Amino acid sequence: MKWLLDYLLKIKPNFDEGQKLNWLYPLYEATETILFSTDAKTKSAPHIRDSIDIKRVMILVVVALIPCYVFGAINIGYQNALSFGLERTWVENLIFGAKTIIPIIVVTFVAGAFWEILFAIVRKHEISEGFLVTCALIPLTMPPSIPLWQLFIATSFGIVIGKEIFGGVGMNIFNPALTARCFIFFSYPSKISGDMVWLVGPDGYSGATALSVPASTNSADAVSLLDGITQFDYSWINLASGWIPGSIGETNKFIIFLAAVALMIMKLISWRVILGGVSGLFAMSYIGTLIAPFSDNSMLSIPPHYHLVMGSFAFGLTFMATEPVTGSHTDTGRLVYGFFVGVLTVIIRSINPAYPEGVMLAILLMNAFASLIDYFVVKVNIRKRMARYA
Amino acid sequence: MSHIKIKKGHDIKISGIPESDISTGSTASDLALLPSDFKGVKPKLMVKVGDSVKIGSPLFLDKLNPEVRWASPGSGIIKDIKFGPRRVIEKIEIELDKDQQSLDFKSHSIDDISNLSKDEVLDVILGANLFPHFRQRPFNTIPDPKIKPRDIFISGINTAPLAVDIEIAMADDIENFQAGINAIEKLTDGKVYLTNKVDSRLSDVENVNINTIEGPHPAGNVSIQIHHISHLRPSELIWTIAPQDVAMIGKLFLKGVYDPSKIITVAGPGVKNPTHLRVKTGYPVESILRSNLSSEDVRLISGDVLTGRECTLEDYMSFYDSSISVISNEINREFIGMLNPGSSSSRYSLTPVFVSLSNILFPFTSSQNGNHRAVVPINSWERVLPMDILPNELYRSILAEDIEEMESLGLFECDDEDFALCSFACPSKTDVSGVIRKGLDMLQAEV
Repeated sequence: MKWLLDYLLKIKPNFDEGQKLNWLYPLYEATETILFSTDAKTKSAPHIRDSIDIKRVMILVVVALIPCYVFGAINIGYQNALSFGLERTWVENLIFGAKTIIPIIVVTFVAGAFWEILFAIVRKHEISEGFLVTCALIPLTMPPSIPLWQLFIATSFGIVIGKEIFGGVGMNIFNPALTARCFIFFSYPSKISGDMVWLVGPDGYSGATALSVPASTNSADAVSLLDGITQFDYSWINLASGWIPGSIGETNKFIIFLAAVALMIMKLISWRVILGGVSGLFAMSYIGTLIAPFSDNSMLSIPPHYHLVMGSFAFGLTFMATEPVTGSHTDTGRLVYGFFVGVLTVIIRSINPAYPEGVMLAILLMNAFASLIDYFVVKVNIRKRMARYA
Repeated sequence: MSHIKIKKGHDIKISGIPESDISTGSTASDLALLPSDFKGVKPKLMVKVGDSVKIGSPLFLDKLNPEVRWASPGSGIIKDIKFGPRRVIEKIEIELDKDQQSLDFKSHSIDDISNLSKDEVLDVILGANLFPHFRQRPFNTIPDPKIKPRDIFISGINTAPLAVDIEIAMADDIENFQAGINAIEKLTDGKVYLTNKVDSRLSDVENVNINTIEGPHPAGNVSIQIHHISHLRPSELIWTIAPQDVAMIGKLFLKGVYDPSKIITVAGPGVKNPTHLRVKTGYPVESILRSNLSSEDVRLISGDVLTGRECTLEDYMSFYDSSISVISNEINREFIGMLNPGSSSSRYSLTPVFVSLSNILFPFTSSQNGNHRAVVPINSWERVLPMDILPNELYRSILAEDIEEMESLGLFECDDEDFALCSFACPSKTDVSGVIRKGLDMLQAEV
């Protein structure tokens, strides 16, 4: 590949300061450093640096998302076949699903890259790799039936308002992928609030999502309600293994669990957020089951282990809540932050009458509170130190 | 005596580890002292070009503390004095005589030393112009000899990459070391703390409070040891000194001479035969490295790879440094390198699984291994800083120039060298230690 590097280095002077193509320098720089590892040298001590960089961090997260894409595609085909009453092999399902999600991925990346490059050129900074993860996450949070023009607008909103206006990756306060999801959620609520299933199926074909089943019936036990549904299999094991309609990437909890473990071993996401989140969810939903006999709200009777596999909690916690920039920055803070993501998810699911799903709102709300949590952690650290100094 | 176990940190798996036997380097024809090595010192020359000096003669003094003077590490004729911008004295070069002569000082028996008073000990050290070997915390500068320190700390373990193995360097110097301890013990009303590794040669030394420490770098950094043994309060002063310098002071008391020789390492992936070497303070880099470089395109570092200063063959070793490290400057631009997780360096941040278990050593180069980006806090700093300090928050308070916040977040207890691993491990390639240095300078200007 030396000829390519030589060629790139040969055309490099055209992008220098004062040259006609200087305005395209961010694009050149991105191309060169994506194709070839950097030639930047350390300028001061420490003279050696670890080989981890933001490009590798981001690309590893994207790699961890690939299994979610593959399963998502198979499941789209499977749900489609189910709705038409067809018999198909999993390969046919995969091909069908791929045909559905490839346009979604393409539109997201085109929109994301467009805004990222535009901002890099206008604000004269390097193109940040962060948009790769954002754009890889957005399709997974979308229903397979999403109109592409909505997706384009949502991605643009997520990248521009969620990230670029704050100065880019590292400066943003809300998770850009969730900002995109949130935009579409409130802009087109009749399609996407999560009370009706999303799938690529016959016109007029619809059904209730697992979360909206107990939400729509009063004074009943949630598990027996779910078991009573015949259109889809809403048993615990099937909810966990993901053969249900839903957003593209969130249905299979086992794949998400494996990705979470891999990312935690590589120390790219914090186990504290995950631990906090799962315990928050368990604690709050356990309290819910205690109150359930005194209330006619059937959502309260959902047992903790069902909460874990229903909706997008697992996906949101693993890939969205753990986003390092918008979450808490301190270790203790991460536990608290994660815990409240779990608690708020259950509260929004159970007590809020409008939206059956609450993960997205819980994470965005906790993004807003993350710096407040850090503030108190820092105060405690300072107080401890002052006590030692005294 | 207590045992401290450090968990956070990282031993960089860099190749070119020095051999454990000490070779005698070639003798150089000149050496130099670099007054610009000393932070917070206003040097005033005591010699001029053409003067002849002996080992131990004072070369310059600190205008702020005129009793603090620097001894000449060689005997000969002042060859040149180089000035930088605004007439800052950069180097004092000495052409060495064949016959090295030392100034003679009074010698003491080991029992005599124990009967000396604080002022007598200080007079001997200041009189031999060796006081600059002490440094103080906070700020890691040369202390004011008039102010008594709370304690004196000696780190008996080097954990920095490719650093001198103190066990090897001190093997024949235990007697001098003991004499040095007996002397400097007088300088404080508190204790002298020596922190060793378990089963160290130095663990039988008396008149000193010995602790043991184990764990990865930066366990050998004295600020980490102070933090865990008896932490520093903002109003206090602690002196620190390196073990080889303690032995040198001991020798001064026992024999009445200043012996400027010390053991250093010449190591790193760019060195043909990495080894321990006996040289004199201020030796020229060229004479140390002569014919030991593996290629032309290398970066020479006076000091270790984490905290050292880039230098050339024409330069001289810095006063406090005890290594010369060499890394390659040749950078291999891998095609789609970002998709290759097993590329040829430590991969610290993903290491627990892939690297820590294996014994592979990596030929690190001067590559930054990535471009600078905004900080993405994935805890890479926290994992290599074994102190109760929030590095991220401290970093931000320094960027915000909030002096009060820096102070309350514990900046007093740190030195920039403690954060060198944070810069090493940072995926955003942030210069954490540089920012910490900036904060310390701000704080020092304020105090």
